Amino acid sequence: MAAIDLHDLTKAWGNFTAVKRQSLAIRDGEFMVLLGPSGCGKTTTMRMIAGLEEPTSGDILIGGQRVNDLAPRERDIAMVFQSYGLYPHMTVADNIGYPMKLRGMGRAEREAAVRAAADKVELGAFLHRKPRELSGGQRQRVALARAIIRRPRAFLMDEPLSNLDAKLRVSTRAEIKHLQHELGVTTVYVTHDQIEAMTLAHRVAVMQGGEIRQLGTPEDIYDQPADLFVAGFIGSPAMNLLAGEIQDGRFTAPGGIAVAVRVAHRGAAVLGIRPEDLRVLPPGQGDVAAAIYTVELTGEATLVTADVGGARLSARADRGFRAGIGSAIGLALDTSRLSIFDPGTTLRIKDAP
Amino acid sequence: MRDRTLKYLLLVPAAVLVLGTTLWPLAVSFTTSFRDWRLTRSVTPGPFIGFEHYITAATDDPEFLNALTVTATFVLIDVTLTLVCALGLALLLRRAGVLQSLTRAVLILPFAVSPALVGISFRFMFNAEMGVFTWLAGAVFPPLQGVVWLGDRSAALLVLVFSDAWRWVPYMTLVVLGGLAALPREPEEAARMDGAREWQVLRDVTLPALLPVLAIVGILKTVFALKMFDQVVTLTGGGPGSSTVTLAYLVYSIAFRWYDMGYASAVAWILTAMLMGLAVWYTRLVLRKPDA
Ligand SMILES: Nc1ncnc2c1ncn2[C@@H]1O[C@H](COP(=O)(O)OP(=O)(O)OP(=O)(O)O)[C@@H](O)[C@H]1O
Ligand SMILES: [Mg+2]
Repeated sequence: MAAIDLHDLTKAWGNFTAVKRQSLAIRDGEFMVLLGPSGCGKTTTMRMIAGLEEPTSGDILIGGQRVNDLAPRERDIAMVFQSYGLYPHMTVADNIGYPMKLRGMGRAEREAAVRAAADKVELGAFLHRKPRELSGGQRQRVALARAIIRRPRAFLMDEPLSNLDAKLRVSTRAEIKHLQHELGVTTVYVTHDQIEAMTLAHRVAVMQGGEIRQLGTPEDIYDQPADLFVAGFIGSPAMNLLAGEIQDGRFTAPGGIAVAVRVAHRGAAVLGIRPEDLRVLPPGQGDVAAAIYTVELTGEATLVTADVGGARLSARADRGFRAGIGSAIGLALDTSRLSIFDPGTTLRIKDAP
Repeated sequence: MRDRTLKYLLLVPAAVLVLGTTLWPLAVSFTTSFRDWRLTRSVTPGPFIGFEHYITAATDDPEFLNALTVTATFVLIDVTLTLVCALGLALLLRRAGVLQSLTRAVLILPFAVSPALVGISFRFMFNAEMGVFTWLAGAVFPPLQGVVWLGDRSAALLVLVFSDAWRWVPYMTLVVLGGLAALPREPEEAARMDGAREWQVLRDVTLPALLPVLAIVGILKTVFALKMFDQVVTLTGGGPGSSTVTLAYLVYSIAFRWYDMGYASAVAWILTAMLMGLAVWYTRLVLRKPDA
C-alpha cells in the first residue's frame, strides 16, 4: 500500500504527445479512476506507472520513492491489462497462480489461493481450461483474478470489466469495490464507462487529449463540471448545453428561455443543466414552453427530448409519463443546479458569493 | 461438363512437367534400388534382386554404418548449435535500436554465399599453416596452437558443423525474429508485472509461445543437415579417413566413384525416406490449426 505521485509526467512518440505534463497525487488507499474518451492517454499513463513504458520526462513516485528507474517487477504492482495478457499455454489455474508461484508459495497453499481468487470472479468451474477455450468476459476475469490473488502496493486496472455482460459487470464491480475497501490497496482504474467511474471512485480524473481536465470526487465532477468537455462527457444522457447571454443576472437564450443566475459574469455564456434537473410539466406551466421532439422509455424513467426555439433539451420525466410527439409541454429548471460556462475559455464560471 | 474437362486439360502441362522432372526420376531411382546395376559391367540396368541392397546396407556395410553415424552426429550438433545461436541472436536483435536494425539488415549476407564457396573459404581459414582461424585459435588459447584442424577426425567434423552453422544461423535468426515479432507483447509484460525476472519471462512465457516456430526451424534445419554435401566436397573431401563422409556424400561416392548405381540408389532412398518422414511432420506442424 502506497501513495502514487505523478510529477509533470509526459510521454511523446515522435512529435505526438500522448500524455502532457500530467501531475496527479493519488493518496494511499485511494480508488482513483481515470476517465476519458478513447485515445486520451489513459492506458499510456497506467503503463508508465507500471514501468512498461518509459516516460519522456517527469517523475513517478510510489510510496515517496522515485521509481522511474525501477523495473516493473521491483515496483510491486499488480495490473489487469486491457487486452488481458493471459499466458496462452497455461491453464486458468496456472495463470492465476503464476504470481504466487514466482513468490515461491507451496503447491497446496497456492491451490487454495487460486480457488479463492477464482471464486471471487465466478471462475471456479473453469480452472482447468486454457485461455483459448474461454469467452472474452471469462478471460477478463482470469486477468482480474491473477491481479487480486496478490497483495501488492497498488492495483492498476485497465478497463477490467469492458467485456462482461451487464449483470456480471454490476456484480464484479461491487466485488472490486468491496475488495479494494477491504484490502485498502491504492487502485488506479481506467474506464470510459462513467457509471463505473461514479460508483467506484473516491476521486475521478477526467482526461482528454493527454491532459487531466478535472480531478475531483464523483459528486464534484457530476454537479460542478470544470469545463464544457467534462460537462458534455459525464452523464447519460449528457448535460444540456444552451448558448445564450447573461444580462443583469438573467440568462437568456432563443426560444424564450430566461432564468435568474447567480454569477457575476455578463455577456455570452453557456448554460448547462442535467436532464434530471428539468421537470416536465403541462403546457403553460414552468419556465419555458416547449414541444415534444421524441419520447424514449428506459424502464426506470422516460427521456423526453423537447424542442425549445430550435434547441434540443433532454429531460428525465417520471416513468409513467406519456405524450405524443409534437404535443406542447412546459419545462421547469432547477435553478439551484445550473452550471454556467464561458464559451471563450470553456471553463465553468463560479457562482458569485 | 465441358468446363470441367477444360479445367483438367489446363492442368496437364503443369502435371507433365512435375511428373517428368520430379516423380519420374524418383520412380526410376526407386526401381534401380532393387536392381543390380554396376556401370563397370554394363551401361544398362541389370536384373531385379529384391531387397538385397537394403539388406547389405543394414547388415553388412561398415561404410554405410559409418556414414550413418557421421550424419547423425553432424545433424545433432549442427541443429542444436544453429537453434541455440539463432534463438540467442534473435532475442538480442529483438529490441529496437540502430545497432539492432543494422545487424538485422546484414544478417542475410552469409546465406547468399554458395555452400560450395563456404566450404572453400573455411578450408583456407582452417589451413594448418596459413589459416586465419588456426592462428586465431592458437593466439587466444595457446594449447590449440599447432592443431591441424582438418587433419583430426573429430575436429574436422566440428569444422564442418561450424561452416554449416555459419551459413544457416543468420537465416534462422531472421525466421525466429519473425516469430518473435508476431508474439503479442502483453503476456510478457504481464509476467514482468507478476514479478518474473527476465529469464523467467523467457522460460515461462516467451519460449512456450515460440515453440511452434522453433519446432519448424528445428525440422527444417534437420532436413538440410541430413542432406549435407557441398561443404563435404569442398572442405574435407570426406576425410580424414572417412570421418566426415555423410550419407549424401556416400551416395555420391558409391555412384560416381565406384559406379554401383543400384546400391547408390538404395542408400539414396534410405536418406529420402528419412527426409520424407520429416517433411510430413513439418507439413503437419505448419498446417496445424493455430491455437490462439
Ligand atoms: N506505441 C505507441 N506509439 C505511438 N503512439 C501510441 C503508442 N501507444 C499509444 N499511442 C497513442 O497514444 C494515444 C493514447 O493511447 P492510449 O492507449 O493511452 O489511449 P487510451 O486512453 O487508453 O484509449 P482507449 O480507451 O481506447 O484504450 C493514442 O492516440 C494512441 O494512438
Ligand atoms: Mg486504453
